[in-house]
Amino acid sequence: MNWRGRLLIAIPYAWLLVLFLVPFVIVLKISLSDIALAIPPYTPNLKDGFWPMLSVLDLENYAFIGAGAVVAGFAGLVLCIAMYRVIFPRIRRAMLPETADTIFDSAAAALTALAVAIVNVAIVVAVLAFLFPALNAFVEIPDFLYFAAYLSSLKIAVISTFLTLLIGYPIAYAMARAAQHWRPTLLMLVILPFWTSFLIRVYAWIGILSTEGYLNQLLLSIGVISEPLAILNTPIAVYVGVVYTYLPFMVLPIYATLDKMDDSLVEAAEDLGCTALSAFWLVTAPLSKPGVIAGCFLVFIPTLGEFVIPSLLGGSDTVMIGKVLWEEFFNNRDWPVASAVAVILLMILIIPIVLFQRNEQKQRELEG
Amino acid sequence: MAHANPDAVFAPWDDPVEKPLIQFKNVTKRFGDFTAIDDLTLDIYAKEFFALLGPSGCGKTTLMRMLGGFETPTEGTILLDGVDIGPVPPNERPVNMMFQSYALFPHLSVWDNIAFGLKRSDMPKDQIGDRVEQMLKLTQLGKFAGRKPHQISGGQRQRVALARSLAKAPKLLLLDEPLGALDKKLRHETQFELMDIQESTGTTFVIVTHDQEEAMTVATRVAVMTEGKLAQVATPEVIYEAPNSAYVADFIGDVNLIEGTVEVPAKRASETSVAIKWSATAPAINASADTPPPAASSVTFAIRPEKVAISSTKPKAANVLEGKILDIAYLGNISTYHVEVAPGLIIKAQATNAKRVSRRNLTWEDHVYLSWTDTAGVVLTA
Amino acid sequence: MRRFSWFNATSLTFGFAFLYLPMLILIIYSFNESRLVTVWAGFSTKWYGELFQNEQFLDAAWVTVKVAFWSSTIATVLGTMAAYIMVRAGRFRGRGLFSGMIYAPLVMPEVITGLSLLLFFIAIGLDRGVLTIVLAHTTFAMCYVSVVVTSRLVSFDQSLEEAALDLGCTPFDAFRSVTLPIIMPAVISGWLLAFTLSLDDLVIASFTSGPSSTTLPIKIFSAVRLGVTPEINALSTIMIGLVTLGVVSASLVSRATAKKARADEQAAG
Repeated sequence: MNWRGRLLIAIPYAWLLVLFLVPFVIVLKISLSDIALAIPPYTPNLKDGFWPMLSVLDLENYAFIGAGAVVAGFAGLVLCIAMYRVIFPRIRRAMLPETADTIFDSAAAALTALAVAIVNVAIVVAVLAFLFPALNAFVEIPDFLYFAAYLSSLKIAVISTFLTLLIGYPIAYAMARAAQHWRPTLLMLVILPFWTSFLIRVYAWIGILSTEGYLNQLLLSIGVISEPLAILNTPIAVYVGVVYTYLPFMVLPIYATLDKMDDSLVEAAEDLGCTALSAFWLVTAPLSKPGVIAGCFLVFIPTLGEFVIPSLLGGSDTVMIGKVLWEEFFNNRDWPVASAVAVILLMILIIPIVLFQRNEQKQRELEG
Repeated sequence: MAHANPDAVFAPWDDPVEKPLIQFKNVTKRFGDFTAIDDLTLDIYAKEFFALLGPSGCGKTTLMRMLGGFETPTEGTILLDGVDIGPVPPNERPVNMMFQSYALFPHLSVWDNIAFGLKRSDMPKDQIGDRVEQMLKLTQLGKFAGRKPHQISGGQRQRVALARSLAKAPKLLLLDEPLGALDKKLRHETQFELMDIQESTGTTFVIVTHDQEEAMTVATRVAVMTEGKLAQVATPEVIYEAPNSAYVADFIGDVNLIEGTVEVPAKRASETSVAIKWSATAPAINASADTPPPAASSVTFAIRPEKVAISSTKPKAANVLEGKILDIAYLGNISTYHVEVAPGLIIKAQATNAKRVSRRNLTWEDHVYLSWTDTAGVVLTA
Repeated sequence: MRRFSWFNATSLTFGFAFLYLPMLILIIYSFNESRLVTVWAGFSTKWYGELFQNEQFLDAAWVTVKVAFWSSTIATVLGTMAAYIMVRAGRFRGRGLFSGMIYAPLVMPEVITGLSLLLFFIAIGLDRGVLTIVLAHTTFAMCYVSVVVTSRLVSFDQSLEEAALDLGCTPFDAFRSVTLPIIMPAVISGWLLAFTLSLDDLVIASFTSGPSSTTLPIKIFSAVRLGVTPEINALSTIMIGLVTLGVVSASLVSRATAKKARADEQAAG
C-alpha cells in the first residue's frame, strides 16, 4: 500500500480513535475516581499525570450502583447462552435425532434456557457471596434505585420489543402482499416518520395520553369510561412511545425478508396440502425469522438505553438506565457515578449487540 | 513484420528470428494457499490473436489480469517488448482491457466512454474528437454517440467496450470473455467482426474464453489451460487434429477415448504404425504415431466421431468393429450414433444426413459396422 | 397470484393510522385559536406568528442548522472514506478495531456517547460550544454515512474502477471521475441522513453544548417538559412539513429516474 492509501485510512481512523475510543477510556477512568466538590466534580484530572490518577482508582462507584449483581447476572447470561447454544442442541440431538428445526423448537429451547438462566444467576450470586466475604459489600445491592433501573429497563425493552413485533409483523406482511405498484409508496410511508424528529413524535403523544388529552376526551365522550384514565407518566405510556417511534425499525427488516421470499413457496405448500394458515406458519414464518430477529434487536438495543421516551412519557415512576445516567449527571452532578452507570449499561448491551452482529453476519454469509 | 514473403502463412512462433511481444517466464501466482498459476512459461507474438481456453478456475483470467496489471506475479517475470512490466501500474501500461461485464461507465455517454482513455493520454485535445469519430465508425456506433450505456442494446454495448479499449491504440488488447453476454447468433456475427477489427488495426489480441468453438474460430493460436498449467499451445488445427493429451482431446470437441496397451510382440506394417490391444476378444486397433510408444506401454486412443464411418455391411478398412446401435441423436445436418462395440464401451460415429429421415436405413438395435483408417485417430501417452 | 385479504387491508389501515394520527392531531391543533391545547376554539395561524417573534427559538434554529450543515458535511467526507476503506482496502493492521469503531456508535446509547464526549472535551480543556457539538455529531453521523455508502459500494462493479485504471487513470483520478459520480446518490442520502440526525439530536447535543450554543431540540425539550404548548405544535408542524416535502419529492424523483431508465432499456432492446 502506498502513502496515499495509508493517509486515506489514517484520517478517519484517527478521528474515531480520538473522538470515540479515547472518550470512552476517559469514562472508564472517571468511573473509578472519587467525587470531589470542585468543578469539574471529579478527581483527579489527566493534567495531574497518569500515575497519580491511577493510584486513587477504586471500585466504590461500582459497589454503590450494585455492579456486583450485574456482573453476576452477566455471568449467568453467558452461562445461559452456552446452555442454549452448546448443551441444549446436544441434548436435543441425543433425544430427538433427525427432526427438523422448527420455530416451536426454538421457542421451547429459549424458554428452557431462560429457566436455566434464572437458576444460574441465583447460583452465581450465592457462590460469590459465600466464597468471598470480602466481596459482600460489592455483591449486595447498596442502592436499590440502580438495580431497579437495570431491571425495569430490561423489562420495558423486552415488553415493548414484543409489542412492536406484534404490531409490526402484520404491517410488514400486508405490505409484502400488496400489489407491486403500491409497494414503493407504502415503503415511503413507513420510512417517512423515521425522518421526522424523534422528539416531536414522542411529544405528540403527550397531548394524546394526558388526563385531559384527546384519547380520554374521545373515550369519555363515547361513554366507554366515566373517569379519565391515567396513562401518561406510567410505563404504559412508555410502551406506546417505544412502539410508536421504533415501529419502522421492526417493519423494514421483516418487510425486506418477506419481499425477497418467492411467492411460489407458499403456493407449493398449499399445493402439497397446507391450509393458508399452516402454509404461513410452516413456510412464511420460518423464512421471515432473520428479519424478525434483526427487527427485534433494532428495537431492543436502543430501547434499553433510551432517555427521551421515559423522561417525557414515563414520569417520575419510570426508572430506566438512560434516565438515571442523565439525572445522575445533570441533577446530582455526580460524574463518577454517571460514568460507572454508563460502563454498566454498555456491559449489559454487549450481549444483544454481539448476538445481533452474529445474526447479521450469518445472513450475509447465507446470501453469499 | 519480419516475414519477407507476404504470401507466407502467419506463424511467427515457428520463426526463430521473431522476438515475442509478451514473455511469461516461470510465472507463479498464489492466492493464499491456492495456486492459480503454476510455473508457467509462454511467448505471445505481435499481431497474434491468442486465445486462453479452459474451464472456469483454470487460471486463464488470472493470467490475463497479470497482463493488465491488476494482479502481480508471486514468482517469475512478465516481459512486454523485452521490458519487465511487473512494477508498472495498470494506468501506465500500453495494454488495454475489454472487461467481461464491459465496465462501461454508466454516467458517461458512449462518446465520453470512448474518449475517457484519450483524455488521460498525452493526445492533444483537438485530435481526441477525430480519434473518437474514427472508433465510432470502426464499430458502426455513429448513431449512438450521445446515448448512455443503458440506452443501447447488449451487442452495441459490447462494441462500445471494444471501441473504448482500442481507442488508445494499445500494443496489446486483452479481452475477457468478450462475447459471453451475447446470444448465440449475435456471438457468431461478432466473432467475425472481432477478427476483421484485429486484422485492420494490427493489434495483438489476447482473448480469454471458456467457449472452445469461439477460441477455434477467432484465434491464431490457442492455449488450453488446466489447473494453472498449459496443457497445449498450438494452432486450432493442431489442437483439434493432434491433441497432445487425453485432457485436450476431450476438452476440445467430441471424442471417443479408448484405453489399451501397445501390442507385444509389435507387429509393424511401417516405422510409424502402432497396434493397440484394448479388448481380449476384439481385434487390435491399427493406428500411427510419429514416435510410436514402446511395446506394452498403456496408451489412450482418441478418434473424433466424424472420422468414424458407420455402415450396415462390412466395409474394407484398416479398422473395422462390429456393434449395436444404442442411441441416435438427430441434429438436423448430422446424426450421432452411439454404438456399443463391447460390453460397456460405446463409440460415437457421425454421419451427415444427405437423405431425408424416412429413407435412412439405420435404426435402434441395428447390427452395424464401424470403420476408420489407420491415420484417423491419435495415440496419446498422457 | 397475490391475495389481498381483509386481514391485510385492516393491518395496513390500522398500522398507518397509528403511525400518522398522532402527527395529524399535532398539525391540526397547531391551528387552534385557544392556548388550551385540548380544546378546539377555531382556526388561527397566530401561533406561527408568535413562533417567528420568538428570538430564542430563531437563534436556536440557526445554531441547529449551522451545526447540522457542518457536521453532516464533514461526516459525509469521513464516512465515505471509511466506507471506501472497509470495502476496498483489504487487510490492514487494525482493521478489526476500525470496523468496530465504525459500527459501535450505531448501537451505542446516546447517553453514553454524549457523556464520554463531554468528559473528553473537559479533559482536553476545550470550551463547549458550536465546535464541540459539530465534533460530536460528526463522529456518530459519519458512522451512519459509512453504512449507507458501504452498502452502495458493495454492489459496485469493481471492474469499472479497473477499467478506469486501465484507461490511464491514477487511483485518485479513478475515484473522482468514475466511482464518486456513480455512488453520488448514496453519498447524498448519507449526507441527508447525517443532516437529519444532527437536526434531531437532543441527548448528545445536551451533553456537548455550552450555554451560548443551545440547539432547537434542547429548546423544545425544556419547553415540552412543562407540557403541550401551541407554539411547539406550530414548530412541529413546520418541521414535519419540511421533512414530508423532502422525502416525498426525493422518492418521486428517484421513481421517475427509475422509470425512465427502464423505458430507455426497453427502447434499446
